[in-house]
Amino acid sequence: MRIMLVGAGKVGRTVAEYLTREEHEVTVIDSDEDVLRRCEDTLDVLCVHGNGANAQTLIDAAVDRADILIAATADDEINMLCCLIGKRLGAKFAIARIRDPQYNESLALLQRELDIDVAVNPERTTALEISQLLRFPFASNVETFAKGQIEMVEFRAQENDAVVGVPLHALPAKYPSMPRVLYAAVEREGKVIIPTGDFILRPGDRVYVTAEMMMITKFFRFLGKGSLRVRHLMILGGGRISYYLAKFVVPMGISVTMIELDEKKAARLSEELPHVNVLCGDGTSQELLEQEGLRDMDAMICLTDRDEENLMTGIYAVRQGVPKVIVKNNRDNYADIIASMGLDSVVSPRLITSSTILRHVRAEIGGAGTKVAKLYQLLGGKAEAMEFEVQPSAPCVGIPLRDLRMRPNTLVAVIARRGKVIVPGGNDHIEVGDRVIIMACESGISDLNEVISK
Amino acid sequence: MNKKLVIRLLGALLLIEAACMVPSLLIALIYRDPEDAPAIVWSILLMLAFGLPMHLLPRGNTAQNLHAKDGFAVVGLGWIMMSVFGGLPFYFSHLLPTFVDAVFESVSGFTTTGASVLTDFERPLHGVIFWRSFTHWIGGMGVLVLTLALLPKLTGRTAHLVRAESPGPTLSKLLPKMGDSAKVLYLIYAALTVVMIAALMICGLSPYDAAVHAMGTAGTGGFSNYGSSVGAFNSLAVEVVITVFMLLFAVNFGLYYRMLLGDWKSVVRNEEIKWFLCIVAAAMLILAVLILPVYHSFGAALRYASFNVATVISTTGYAIADYNLWPAAAKMIIVLLMFIGGCVSSTGGGMKVMRIIILLKAARREVRHTFQPRNVQKIRMDGRGLEEDAVYQIVTFSVVYMLLVLFGAFLVSLDGHFDLETNLTAALTCVSNVGPGLGAVGPAGSFSGYSPYAKVILSLLMLSGRLEMFPMLVLLHPKLWQKF
Repeated sequence: MRIMLVGAGKVGRTVAEYLTREEHEVTVIDSDEDVLRRCEDTLDVLCVHGNGANAQTLIDAAVDRADILIAATADDEINMLCCLIGKRLGAKFAIARIRDPQYNESLALLQRELDIDVAVNPERTTALEISQLLRFPFASNVETFAKGQIEMVEFRAQENDAVVGVPLHALPAKYPSMPRVLYAAVEREGKVIIPTGDFILRPGDRVYVTAEMMMITKFFRFLGKGSLRVRHLMILGGGRISYYLAKFVVPMGISVTMIELDEKKAARLSEELPHVNVLCGDGTSQELLEQEGLRDMDAMICLTDRDEENLMTGIYAVRQGVPKVIVKNNRDNYADIIASMGLDSVVSPRLITSSTILRHVRAEIGGAGTKVAKLYQLLGGKAEAMEFEVQPSAPCVGIPLRDLRMRPNTLVAVIARRGKVIVPGGNDHIEVGDRVIIMACESGISDLNEVISK
Repeated sequence: MNKKLVIRLLGALLLIEAACMVPSLLIALIYRDPEDAPAIVWSILLMLAFGLPMHLLPRGNTAQNLHAKDGFAVVGLGWIMMSVFGGLPFYFSHLLPTFVDAVFESVSGFTTTGASVLTDFERPLHGVIFWRSFTHWIGGMGVLVLTLALLPKLTGRTAHLVRAESPGPTLSKLLPKMGDSAKVLYLIYAALTVVMIAALMICGLSPYDAAVHAMGTAGTGGFSNYGSSVGAFNSLAVEVVITVFMLLFAVNFGLYYRMLLGDWKSVVRNEEIKWFLCIVAAAMLILAVLILPVYHSFGAALRYASFNVATVISTTGYAIADYNLWPAAAKMIIVLLMFIGGCVSSTGGGMKVMRIIILLKAARREVRHTFQPRNVQKIRMDGRGLEEDAVYQIVTFSVVYMLLVLFGAFLVSLDGHFDLETNLTAALTCVSNVGPGLGAVGPAGSFSGYSPYAKVILSLLMLSGRLEMFPMLVLLHPKLWQKF
């Protein structure tokens, strides 16, 4: 598939990296020669120098032959213009990153009039993800599937957890009252494992469990982790993510304190978010944090533009005994170090955006088969959870899973059927209209037929 | 440096080279010359004996992380290694007396220089002679490019490899994927070669002669299986075909791809090809006038002038006349053309037309700057502004190129056999990958008069010229071999 990527910034590069790994033909356009040079050296892509909203640049880069055009420059306006021109010049599908809240309000109109097929808003998506985490403060990551019926939750196994030290298949016998969930993936020492029945969890493992929403809640209550509820929240940094997040959590009855350094920005935030306690000051100052009652907060979320500030303040908040700390960090190479300092919940807008874009790309590739409906990258992209809505054409329909051939390192995690959630065994089968969630230790699957065959 | 990965890639390179020798083995089996097939078989076995363990033994994560350092080491060491192993058939078949001679001939083949130490063309060794020309063919487009066309998954981050091996200041990628790009280049290259073989056969050459000369032309190398080179045929038709194809192979291959796509606009916009054609036409006319006294008729003068201009500017080095007998001005034109060479991303050698254009533009800007110091001027190429970094790199390249020729000539002079003209042009012809020089190494002469010491120096000069110096020079830099 020919993909044209305009803007080789953080998101652009990540997307390009995954796309080249998946064997697509990628052309990258950027106006900065140094950025392009780095792309050319490290990725197998064709680099074109120029402004992505300039028709001539797009023509030179053969936009007419592009199956997908992705505009991910820093400017919303350039992205929109680029998609508009690119589509007129013959690109088949256009994805634009649009993140200004003002454009977000009239997004449907913009998309229709500018012929943009998908608008990606990383800040809004990130805020949504954080708001989910606030609903499950004991989890370090939460993802929903099948229109919210199914949840996949990541938590760190601890010494005294009931699930530790017993083979997974022996758990129901040992704890008959333990709610049944599926252990979808485990990260141990930087490696991702899809556990089998003989697998024994150890303290320190990052475990992904999946089940129905209610089951998950009961499961964590059984483990003794479900008691915390977030009522008071402090947000560091008044950027776009903070804005969207406040919009999401204020209706949930959470009181929000937001700290922003810039006076003008703080003033505008207080105007736009009347129910939020906006403070103007340096959020890295410990004195200010203590004054504003950091110790009494149920959660602290660090969303400044600087990863280092977020991490340091996050660690400080953990030390001060804040039960739930979430930090924004765009650099995934430090994930292990950060986790060892007690910060389990790290959100990366870069990864969230790239996985959103990738899902749309794969959905375009899927063609006649059963396409990816939702893609979630776990553990910094080392594993993926994918949701498929089963089409009548799928060959695996109606056959017990035991008789089907599975691609290695994949697992049918959950099936959602007419409002019911099934954690499948060998005797279960897949029906048309089911939503199937697949776990894979690799990247690049775009069709259910690639996972399951007769 | 990631030694495991470098060794693994070098092993793969040897295996590809062994595979490249198979066509020569088939030729040897057809002609059934004694000593021919055994020499090739032993060479292939030796390459397998080294290549297989090198490629298979290194364990660990070798799939990624090819950094600039490793890329240069693979290209530099790879070419040296290939040349040494590529010389084995000449040594085993006793075509050349010493191993240094065999390696010199092989380096000359892979670098598409065509400087030869071979004097005995009567030995029946069809397979080995075919291999000698085949090295031109694979060396012209690049062995690593071939490796990437065949095994695109060999390693991640291939840009460093191709950048180091492809001629020209920029990495010219035709398609998003390096593997596809390499395939397209080789397809165009092979197609042009096949057309040329057919054209030569129509002119009356035997299939074997046609293939040998087509491969020599395609790589812009210049090995012939006759002592008097193309002159042996004494046929105007053959000379015209070879002249046209020598020029065709000295043109940027990316342009052929654009033409195939029907993208004539970018062909028209390309400045380099226009300059190249102008230089060729002007040189042919001036040379024809200068050598008129030698050949008496303008027709004959034009025939020799056009063939020689094409052979030198494309850095092929075929000969139909001994230009040692020409007037000094004519010889000077030959020397100037040796510096210029072909276009970027072609199989030709030399400094490349594009660099010459940019150098001239930079010089003109400097002149203007002296009397109008406040003038700001960006150097443009193909209608686009060039980064100052790129201009700086080209200036550095040209200076290093000149120094390499001069210093190389000094090292060769230490040999003490020949005069200044011979030594200087020998160094120049080797760095520019042309083949024959002037004086004793002229079209009628041979490099066999040099001592083994001078042959090693000239071999290194040829490799430096083919790889555009830096991949060879970095091997001399101690930092490359240190861990930190």
